[in-house]
Amino acid sequence: MNMIHNLPWLFLVLPLLVAAIDWLCLSKHPRLAATLSLLSAAGTFGLCVAYLAGLQTGTPGIYTWMPCSLEQLCLHLGLVMDPLAMRMMLVVTGIGLLVHFFSIGYMKGDSSNLSRYYAGLSIFMFSMSTIVLASNLAMTFIGWEMVGFSSYLLIGHWFNKASAADAAKKAFITNRVGDFGFLLGILLTLGFFGTMNFADMGGKAAGIAPALLTVTIVCLFCGAVGKSAQFPLHVWLPDAMEGPTPVSALIHAATMVAAGVYMLVRLQVSMGTEAFTETACCIIASVGAITAVIAAIMAVQQDDIKRILAYSTLSQLGYMVMAVGLLAGEAAMFHLYTHAWFKALLFLGAGAIIVCCHHEQDIWKMGGLSKRMPLTVLCFLMGTCALIAIPGFSGFFSKEAILDAALAKNPVFFWVGAGVAALTTFYMLRLCIVAFLGSARDHGAEHAREAGFTMALPLIILAVMAIISGYGFIANDLVPFNGFHAHGFELGLPFYVSMGSLAVGILLAVAIYGFGGRTKDPLAGNCISKALRNRLYIDALYDKVLIGGLQQGFAHLMQFLDSFLIRGIICQGIMWFTVRLGYLFSAIQCGSLRAYTLVSGIGLIILILLLAYQF
Amino acid sequence: MNIVSTYTWCQFAPAFALVGLAALLILADALLPKLPKRAFAFIGAMGCFVASYFLYTGSQPNFLGCIAAVATGLSILLAFDYTKICCESIAGGSNEEGTGEFYALPLVACAGILSLTQARDLVMLFVSLEVITLSSYVLAGYFRRNQGSIEAGIKYLVLGAMSTGILVYGTAWYFGMVGTFNLGHEVVFTAIKGGVAASPTLAVGFLVATAMLFAGAFFKIGAAPMHVWIPDVYQGAPTPTTAFLAVASKTAGFIVLCALVLPFAPFCVPGSMIGKLLIWCFALVAGVTLIIGNMGAIRQTNIKRLLGYSSVAQAGFIMVFFLNVNSILVDLVGQYLLAYALATLAAFYAVAMVRTQRGSEEIAAFRGLGKSNPRTAFLITVCFASLAGVPLTMGFMVKMYSFVAAITAMGNWAGICWLLPVMVITAAMGFYYYFKVIRAMYWEKAEPGHKALQVPVCTGIVLTLCALALIYLGTMPLLVSMG
Repeated sequence: MNMIHNLPWLFLVLPLLVAAIDWLCLSKHPRLAATLSLLSAAGTFGLCVAYLAGLQTGTPGIYTWMPCSLEQLCLHLGLVMDPLAMRMMLVVTGIGLLVHFFSIGYMKGDSSNLSRYYAGLSIFMFSMSTIVLASNLAMTFIGWEMVGFSSYLLIGHWFNKASAADAAKKAFITNRVGDFGFLLGILLTLGFFGTMNFADMGGKAAGIAPALLTVTIVCLFCGAVGKSAQFPLHVWLPDAMEGPTPVSALIHAATMVAAGVYMLVRLQVSMGTEAFTETACCIIASVGAITAVIAAIMAVQQDDIKRILAYSTLSQLGYMVMAVGLLAGEAAMFHLYTHAWFKALLFLGAGAIIVCCHHEQDIWKMGGLSKRMPLTVLCFLMGTCALIAIPGFSGFFSKEAILDAALAKNPVFFWVGAGVAALTTFYMLRLCIVAFLGSARDHGAEHAREAGFTMALPLIILAVMAIISGYGFIANDLVPFNGFHAHGFELGLPFYVSMGSLAVGILLAVAIYGFGGRTKDPLAGNCISKALRNRLYIDALYDKVLIGGLQQGFAHLMQFLDSFLIRGIICQGIMWFTVRLGYLFSAIQCGSLRAYTLVSGIGLIILILLLAYQF
Repeated sequence: MNIVSTYTWCQFAPAFALVGLAALLILADALLPKLPKRAFAFIGAMGCFVASYFLYTGSQPNFLGCIAAVATGLSILLAFDYTKICCESIAGGSNEEGTGEFYALPLVACAGILSLTQARDLVMLFVSLEVITLSSYVLAGYFRRNQGSIEAGIKYLVLGAMSTGILVYGTAWYFGMVGTFNLGHEVVFTAIKGGVAASPTLAVGFLVATAMLFAGAFFKIGAAPMHVWIPDVYQGAPTPTTAFLAVASKTAGFIVLCALVLPFAPFCVPGSMIGKLLIWCFALVAGVTLIIGNMGAIRQTNIKRLLGYSSVAQAGFIMVFFLNVNSILVDLVGQYLLAYALATLAAFYAVAMVRTQRGSEEIAAFRGLGKSNPRTAFLITVCFASLAGVPLTMGFMVKMYSFVAAITAMGNWAGICWLLPVMVITAAMGFYYYFKVIRAMYWEKAEPGHKALQVPVCTGIVLTLCALALIYLGTMPLLVSMG
């Protein structure tokens, strides 16, 4: 029996199996669980590299999960193995592997159940691979919910901490809002396109009314809004930083939050760009742009190192979504790919710093770290350079690609992008200046030491990727897009504008924060700063109006209906009635023989009449 | 007409063998007073199992007879673990004197059931039925030191005598109308061939006779309106006897009913007047039986009485099969009876075990079993879940067949569509009272002084086998249909 063509299923089976084993059998053996998870990540990474290097095993088998007499209504589980999927898998498994490795150092000495942690990582790898390799929307949705679930588990890993438990809940529920739209979108797709298979969607958009297309695409986009934390559902991502930092690097920076972008590009590729109507594109691009701007603004006044990075992630995701809305899927995936490496680097670097500063996350309590942990700081700086798009670093190429696309389509988005770039430079330099220069402002930072080997190695690898991954000779082979081809770089308006915003950002940051001499934020203390620190009151608004007002009101109504109508009248009423009736029937069974014979006799007469009377 | 020439001696070989075994046991009881009575139970049960093996593998498999024989065997075997109570209630103390017949009489009754399966005329039917009934009278009142048992014996005797009277009267009418005791569709055809117009008296008289014969069968199966004896007798009779009455004797009732109804098969087609009458009659009986059985069970706290009402309720579900009189009727009834027998017998084993060790037959005596005896509690849960019709148990499958039968019948006779909601509601009620036992085991604390049960060997084996069989037979059809 030749099963070699089913080899790609290992991408899903391996991590799922490991998760199950970790969870069910190894809860008392965290080391073994860690080893297994690491091996499964390494295994999938190796498999992925082998496929990209040209391994051919034929078409993987399709498993019909729920058969149906109507072919298009069957639920199939199949794998897509095109470059878009396989190169995305490289990002997922590559960063996944590094994060697994980093976790061993990071979680050392943690008192929580580490088997649970590694099981969570493995189940995340399984779910993310499901999204990436899914051959149809139903399977995407399964993976979609599964990543939500694993994200919930990992954010809430330290569930004893109330803020972590709350953040996990918030992430899950906020995502559910988006997923509801996504589900509607999937059903609409099934209705209008007649299929959920990506392979069969091509060319069908032409026969569908534009208004219906717009609704479908916007509904599907809702899923991306939730998962990729776009405005107005962006609120969960900063809170998700309550999870362990490697988790933030893997899930909330590099891979899962990019799933929304991946899904949109996958749709664009399979439905054809003509399915993305003008209105839909406008909505998508605007949401992306708004997210990019407000996230960058909010990042300016954050003090927690992870939160700054979280807002930066939001803002970069905004870029990608904007690019998708501008029908520049290629640029979006390019940025997704470079961003994955350098943002993972930044998060893992932040993780190393946090561990070495004895779990101190406030940048104002750091300072002078460049002297105490030079390697980590150097790697972090590489990531920063990539993020703020200094020419020559990977982020520069991909951001340039997005700005080019924006200028060609709609100059408004181009200028928004340029402005966000200036803000990005400003807040990242603020972080670096405050945390790395000057002198230590707290005990934690004073006693900081260089991170150990398991943490340093992933940082170095990622730093290398952050520098080189944007160059054409690598990008052409690795950017997750079918037939990706890096543009020749040319001097022009986009280049000068982005250089300008870079310069503005650097100048402002240096002007305000100097070279690390300050101990307090000179921008803090006014009402704007307060508003920014309070996330522009968006979360508070949700709490008050949506949760406090609408939801509570609705909940009261439902509670009334539930307790009065359903429990009171329907359940208890019926029960009361039935029990009374039961009493009546058992009262006939009084024990008296004469009564029994009477009942039987009357019954017999009725029986005889029933059978014979009508004759 | 010649009754003797209708049958061959071979047909009754298993019945003769069982009677012979019973005679041997009674002789042994008189001649070998040293022999422990447990050996009687063991030998009797083995005899029944051997008989059921030959019935199952014989040239003409006798499925209903096989169920009855196994059920009899198991209810004798139940007495094996129940000897302590038997001795206390019969001779007092641990004296085994006079308990021998308690193990032999069920064999005679079983022989009656086996000859009943061969009956093709009313005389054989009546004689076989009385063999069962007479043994049962003795068995029900056998615990002479137990007031409940004596009361049960008296009530069963009086009400049983009434039912016998009705049966004899019906037989007389039958002979008077058609001039023969034979059962067969040619007889039915003779009686009503000309329709009402040609021979009104004959047809009406024949139907009156049929109604009375049905009533005799209803008494045995516990269908309304002849169910009245069930709760009291089940509660009062010795537990092994109750198990016998609930399963073997009920099977006998269904054998009779099948024998009486099958000759009507050619007439039970849409458009036939007599078919409509019969179907309406059965639908009403099934509906009323379902309502009475399930409603009555709701407030019961004594588990034997609960199982009594449960047996009425289950009989209602089996009655639904009789709405489609065709060749697979006997198979369907047999399937349902098998599911019912496995679950009910296991339940009685559990009751006997609890009664022996905790001295009570109330549901409350089951409290805390989930903690103290988790495995036994699980097996009991499977049995009660099967009685309630929880999916993945055989009880679900057969209940589903019953619903399918009701829906099929509605296709032919739209007038009985009210039966389906009755079935749905009463099936839902079943969950309430069967789960009372499960709730007691898992959610309620054991009463003070109630320790963990020691599971006797036979009880353990039978409980395990019954629960496994229920799960296996409940899941196997699914696996087969999945391919």
